Amino acid sequence: MKMKKQLASSLAIAFLTLAVWSCNQSDPAPKGDYVSGVFVMNEGNFTNNNGGISYFARENNTATADIFAAANGTVLKGGVQDYTASEQQGIILVDNSTAGQDKVQFVERYTFKDEGTIGAPDIENPREVIIVGRKAYVSCWGTNSDLKYTTGYIAVIDLTTKKVTKKINVADGPENLAYANGKLYVGTTLWGAGNKLAIININSDEATSPITTSGAANPVGIDANGKLWVNVGDKMLRINTETNVTEATLAIATEGTKTPGNFTFSNDLKSIFFVLSWYDSAGKEHGGTYKFSITDTQIAMVTPLIPRPFYGLAVDPTQGLLYAGVSPSYTQAGYAVRYRADGSLVDSVKVGIAPSGFFFQ
Amino acid sequence: MLWVSFALPLPAYAQKDSIALEPVIVKGFVPQKFMSGLKIQRIDSASLAQVRFQNISDVLSAYTPIAFKNYGPGQLSTASFRGTSANHTAVLWNGLNINAPTLGQTDFSTIPVAGFDQLSVQYGSAASIVGSDAVGGSVLLSSQASGKPFHVSVGRQQDSFNNPQTQTDLRYAFPLNSQWAFSGKTALYDGRMNNDYPKPTRNTYALLPTETFQKGIVQDLFLRSQNDREISAHIWLTDNKLTLTPEDVQGREMTRTTAYRTMVRYQVRTLALRTAWVRDIIDYAKGDLSHPDHSVTDKFASRLEKDFSINIAGDLNPVLIKVGGEWTHFRSRVPGYAYSPVSENRTDIFLLMRWQPTARITTSINLRQGLVTGFNPPFTPSVGLEYGLIQKAHYNLTLKGSYGRSYRVPTLNERYWKDLGNPDVRPETGWNKELGLEQTFKASSGSTLRTSATLYHNRVKDWTYWNPSKSYRVENLQQVLARGIELQLNYQRQTGSWRTGLDAGYAFNKSSQEKAYDNYSQDIVGKQLVFVPAHSANANAFVQFKSTKLTGQFQAVGKRYITFDNSQFLDGYGLANLLAETTFVFDKFKLVLQGQVRNVTDAFYLNVRNNAMPGRSFALSLTFSYDSQ
Repeated sequence: MKMKKQLASSLAIAFLTLAVWSCNQSDPAPKGDYVSGVFVMNEGNFTNNNGGISYFARENNTATADIFAAANGTVLKGGVQDYTASEQQGIILVDNSTAGQDKVQFVERYTFKDEGTIGAPDIENPREVIIVGRKAYVSCWGTNSDLKYTTGYIAVIDLTTKKVTKKINVADGPENLAYANGKLYVGTTLWGAGNKLAIININSDEATSPITTSGAANPVGIDANGKLWVNVGDKMLRINTETNVTEATLAIATEGTKTPGNFTFSNDLKSIFFVLSWYDSAGKEHGGTYKFSITDTQIAMVTPLIPRPFYGLAVDPTQGLLYAGVSPSYTQAGYAVRYRADGSLVDSVKVGIAPSGFFFQ
Repeated sequence: MLWVSFALPLPAYAQKDSIALEPVIVKGFVPQKFMSGLKIQRIDSASLAQVRFQNISDVLSAYTPIAFKNYGPGQLSTASFRGTSANHTAVLWNGLNINAPTLGQTDFSTIPVAGFDQLSVQYGSAASIVGSDAVGGSVLLSSQASGKPFHVSVGRQQDSFNNPQTQTDLRYAFPLNSQWAFSGKTALYDGRMNNDYPKPTRNTYALLPTETFQKGIVQDLFLRSQNDREISAHIWLTDNKLTLTPEDVQGREMTRTTAYRTMVRYQVRTLALRTAWVRDIIDYAKGDLSHPDHSVTDKFASRLEKDFSINIAGDLNPVLIKVGGEWTHFRSRVPGYAYSPVSENRTDIFLLMRWQPTARITTSINLRQGLVTGFNPPFTPSVGLEYGLIQKAHYNLTLKGSYGRSYRVPTLNERYWKDLGNPDVRPETGWNKELGLEQTFKASSGSTLRTSATLYHNRVKDWTYWNPSKSYRVENLQQVLARGIELQLNYQRQTGSWRTGLDAGYAFNKSSQEKAYDNYSQDIVGKQLVFVPAHSANANAFVQFKSTKLTGQFQAVGKRYITFDNSQFLDGYGLANLLAETTFVFDKFKLVLQGQVRNVTDAFYLNVRNNAMPGRSFALSLTFSYDSQ
């Protein structure tokens, strides 16, 4: 009996392998206008609901400002909060200024053709998305009508049926997500009163004991050594994902007035880039972009890597270039500025309004 | 507190007479006589009556090139007049600026046609006469004394999408004694836009669920004497409640705009006094509507003016002079302000002169100085000239020109909003130049054709801006140049029981930022301002036989950019409406039946929120009236 089952399993695996192999053999290269390049998430200007996703091939320095509009003849009708993709499917988080109009927009990954949406009440004020297997996890603030960021949830989407199968409550305005080893780490927005990092077991889709923090937690990701990095206020925490114990705490010299943000890993997962910015009394933003190694015992803040702040920051896994979003204002197009890892400037590409994130494929 | 005030008498001279006449007192709220060289368009009462159940923005977009930045049906609608911003159109009710002092603008969706009797539009800067805000132009609303002994009308309009409108209008006039006569008007209106659209989207764009409830009362009282004395009182209470996504209890947003407008005028021959109190209330709430943010602004305004005429040469017409002053006190309690209440005083003194030395020439020179708590706006002069190039019985050609300074006093929000406001923000100032030709043909057959062409050039400095690259702090950042051309045509013909008419206009406007302020403003300089179409056109044509009238309205709006670098825009569109109206008369009773087809071609267009505007819709109205005469 046992043997038989094992044999069946082996056979199944063999067939599966064969199937995957033959799939690989027969699968032609993906077709579409947006196969290999950089996708830029543009938030747009809030009440104009004019965000979009810009795209350019890496070798180019001009972008198509709104590829969803180019592919479908209609715009997204909101600001873009996040974008990611599974095998064939892209997922865009669209935030509209009016309640009940937010949505998750599905697109064909390489052509950007509309493949349906999920709207309210399943999705309200979506913030960030992560795909694990055939499930997408979307952090949502909920209606947040009192603007106090006390509630929120993670919407679990079955990518096959394109339906929200579960809402997992996470208080205080869930925001940034990080995933490792079956666990989804959920941070909360700086605007709320959050003081813990929620952890969701993605096998059961249940919240487990959170990690208490001294303020709103902002998970950055898992480093080369499998450690989770979390920003809390003016500190960077290195957390052991097995024990949930904080192994190291690095201070960011904020002088009490500066705000760190836009954390992103280098390609080798051994360094973290971030922006430290502040506003002067005239409301003008100042700041710089810094880099530290995961083995540093303190974060060197004397000289920034790049002496200016950015609206978004990401590293292209293919070339290792640092992509920085520049938003002169919410009423004109922004730029994606490319830098080498040493902070030297490559070029810049005009994109959509308020570029806050990048997706590379 | 003394805030008694005065009316604006017009010592009127027959318009084209070259011979000096005895001054005759003419009642009027705005001294249009001193606006020579400027273009003034009066919307006739028949056109207004046709859209009596609608909002003023419907009339203005049908007859003028004013562009509206509209957030949706029954939602915020602000004007861009000659390429300027929403803060640059003065809206005057019986001569009093009723732009909300906090926002410095008027939401035209809150002004129903039922709220006033007369509507004129004055193009270009008239700051020396009107004061602050009159940079792109002015919209002049006024009450008119009724001559009817007794008139009552009750009407109701039913629109598609479950949007009913109801109105009652009562007019009365009778002599009190041998000296004094009394007349008055009482009007009530109530509109309910439920916007029950049959489908939630058009071309994948949402038709946003919203509802707008509007109600109001207008009361005008006039006491007039034989010896050129007049006392009048005017009250206009209006309430407009807009709710976005009303069914969504968590996410709905309510904006309630209430205005109490009251005014007393006293005029004795050439001296006029006016005093007014206006309270603007804005309530805003999201989700739980029971505890809205409540802001209240009171405005006390008084005005005194006196007319003179001076003979400068024996055989020439005298120079007409009006001198006067205005004093305004604002008191505002707004939750978002750094402190509350805030108060501000503004004083204006002015000297207006008009001289018609010969039949061909009319000229005016106007001077104004404003004084405001904390700073003073610039001295504001203007000069205007009209010259009759050809003056024949059947043909007239007139050249018009005007050159004047404009200004805009910062709004209370711009000065006092917590963190973002800037108490030291400077008033905007601009110079407006314009030149126009007007011609009139009068055929003996009874038809009249009027055409006009106007070129303008309006440069505004220290343009105030909630700077999005500085966290929306208020700054005197921009310098804007608006220039363009307006062409207008009006044709009327009457033969027997038939009447026909056409009103058409085209406007080209180039309005752009002229100066660079940071590295990225190179993307903005020279670009068309947002929500200002470069091209717009409108046409209204009617055919009337006896008391049956068929009207076609068409308006075309060009591409409107929605970003300062012109990287994104809303497509242009054309809208057509059809109106058919017939009147049944039974002795002293009248019944007006009207049908409308709006957006006849089912044109698709978008509003500022990137939501769809409704497609074809219908309206049917019935107005019953009784006139004792």
